[in-house]
Amino acid sequence: MIQVKDIKKVYNGVIVVNVPQLQINKGESVGLVGNNGAGKTTLFRMMLDLIRPEAGEVMSEGEPVAGNEHWKEYTASYLDEGFLIDYLTPEEYFYFIGGLHNQTRAQVDEYVAGFGEFFNGEILKKGKYIRDLSKGNQTKVGIVSCLLQKPQFLMLDEPFANIDPTTQYRLKTLLKDLNKNKGVCTLVSSHDLNHVTDVCDRILLMEKGRIIKDIATSASTLAELEEYFAIGQTHHTSLPVDEEENH
Amino acid sequence: MISNFLRHELKAFWRSKNTGKSIGVRIVMGLMILYLLVVVGILGFAMDKILEKALPNQDIIVAFCGIILIYFLFELLSRMQLQELPTLRVQPYLHLPVRRNIIVGYLAFTALLSFFNLWPIILFFPFIFKVIAATSGGAAAGFIVAILSISIFNNYLALYLKRKANLNGWVFVIVTIVLGLVIAGDFAWHIYSVRNISYSFFGNLLKHPMLALVPMAMAIGMYMLNFVYLKQNLYLEELSRKKASYKTSTDYPFLGRFGSIGDQVANEIKLILRNKRPRSAFIMSAVFLLYGLLIYLNPSQGSSDWWRVFVGMFITGFFIISYGQFLYSWQAAHFDGLMVSKVSFTDFLKAKYLLFTAVSTAAVVLSIPYAYFGWRTVLVHFVMYVWNLGVNIHIVLFFANRNAKRIDLSKGASFNWEGVGATQWLLSLPLMLGPYVIFLPFKLLNLADVGLAIMTVVGIAGIVTRSFWLEKLVKDFYKRKYTITEGFRNK
Repeated sequence: MIQVKDIKKVYNGVIVVNVPQLQINKGESVGLVGNNGAGKTTLFRMMLDLIRPEAGEVMSEGEPVAGNEHWKEYTASYLDEGFLIDYLTPEEYFYFIGGLHNQTRAQVDEYVAGFGEFFNGEILKKGKYIRDLSKGNQTKVGIVSCLLQKPQFLMLDEPFANIDPTTQYRLKTLLKDLNKNKGVCTLVSSHDLNHVTDVCDRILLMEKGRIIKDIATSASTLAELEEYFAIGQTHHTSLPVDEEENH
Repeated sequence: MISNFLRHELKAFWRSKNTGKSIGVRIVMGLMILYLLVVVGILGFAMDKILEKALPNQDIIVAFCGIILIYFLFELLSRMQLQELPTLRVQPYLHLPVRRNIIVGYLAFTALLSFFNLWPIILFFPFIFKVIAATSGGAAAGFIVAILSISIFNNYLALYLKRKANLNGWVFVIVTIVLGLVIAGDFAWHIYSVRNISYSFFGNLLKHPMLALVPMAMAIGMYMLNFVYLKQNLYLEELSRKKASYKTSTDYPFLGRFGSIGDQVANEIKLILRNKRPRSAFIMSAVFLLYGLLIYLNPSQGSSDWWRVFVGMFITGFFIISYGQFLYSWQAAHFDGLMVSKVSFTDFLKAKYLLFTAVSTAAVVLSIPYAYFGWRTVLVHFVMYVWNLGVNIHIVLFFANRNAKRIDLSKGASFNWEGVGATQWLLSLPLMLGPYVIFLPFKLLNLADVGLAIMTVVGIAGIVTRSFWLEKLVKDFYKRKYTITEGFRNK
């Protein structure tokens, strides 16, 4: 489904992303972990043709992502609040996104109504613009607007951050259901190792722009990851500042 | 602690987005401020001469005493509109072990750092030194104290009212109306004379300089009122946010016919109506509909095609120019989202065409009453309407591809330099000069009609070949896409 070939991104002489080869197949659920500044968001942005790589390219369904728009048909993504039109009400935003995928308002209403529990009564018909919602609720709007698009490939950047524990569990169930029962390919980054090993069958570990581990999730994965991150803590190497996350 | 605050304040100023922008913007900004200072300075230094000329049969000191309060009345009005509340800047200190009195005192003090407090000094002090000090000596000190005090009083009154207005929008309306009535009561209805009131105070001040203590007490009182109010309400939410009203979802059924393009136009209309800065750009273009009156009522200009072309361009195209100069920047905050959603860029541009066409059409229809100044005026306006849609839209879109500056929609429009760069200066050249390049030679040959006809033809040609230009613009955009998206992500 997605192929990353020799992709490289350099900011001020520092290599932020350097991935020689990465293949994500249909129906896979992939988790991306790594410390701040590892290059996760930059990689995501390049996969969405928002940043031009210095070298290499990203292919989606065999065609390059850059300069093409075919992938927008089946790819849904939520990276940060910058993906939301913040002066719209959540309803208006859902109608807009649904409209792009030829859904009528009634269809959108019906689909979104199914997320009553997920929204916990804080989003729909509250008479607020998206910009007036809390960050966690904005994340919820972003996630549901992704699902509304009925994607075959779903990209979420740290969806578990900012949302409450109950919603985290609901989101995990949702993601598992999408992947296992509807065959949606998911790519999720997270700092929460428990969640990511729970949801994903395959874990990619990034460090300083490189994918240093690519493992199928097993009973020992969590321990393995915890060990890796704990080492970083004891030695306390200075972390490079992430261009994307610290603006 | 105060010195720390001040140091932070200076850093905030120098490092803010508006001051840290490109050198070009800074130079122009500096020149404009310098120009204002010089103009006001000249006014101040020549005050005695000006008053002599303007009111030849009156003593200049009497005249001077008369205008002071009038000045402060108008100053209060403009402070209400333009002066900014120094509120959010204290947020990072509230949770630290800093005494509240210091924070509030600092907040109240920085409120004095406004250009508004500089003008009366430049405007009135030279006269005080030149004339009053020379004739009445010690009274000059009284004048200085009184003027500074009234300025400070105005400063805190305006801020207090603005804070109240933040909680309840009606306060603003009522205050503006009251001030308007006070001004009208003098200048329109002649019930009383602010000038006489002003003179009765300042005239007596000449004899009894101690009277200056009255405005001083008022200033201190107003400062205390602010201080106490701030101290009791040092909760950011209450100070800075309006009471949230229920926001309804709106839908424009007539745009539904245009499918996804219509949806995008609907979004953009909401963008304009729901955000401060684009809203003022829009309101300005409505106000500019009246611009023609200013020109046409002047008999020497009313019958000249030269002016008709100029006015026609602005009336029918002001929105294209004022909103278009920051095109895409308005959407900077969610540009990433637009780029990854199923919006083809061609449709994105078509939505801009639709929006501009709709607004310009509304403007040209609304400008038909200018027929009062002769049908030729309306005719020229229509020619300029066609020109705007055929030529200026494309110019604006071409420059939009070259603009990668983010705009924060929530900030007000006045004195907001965010998003301003070389693009805007460059853009104005072809927009302003374009029509004259064609019109001027024909006009000089006394063939104005031919010039207008050719402009119409060029405009129509531009409209007919839209899809061709559209394709070029899309290609051009993809060459710059990454620069634009990155620029917009740069807060």
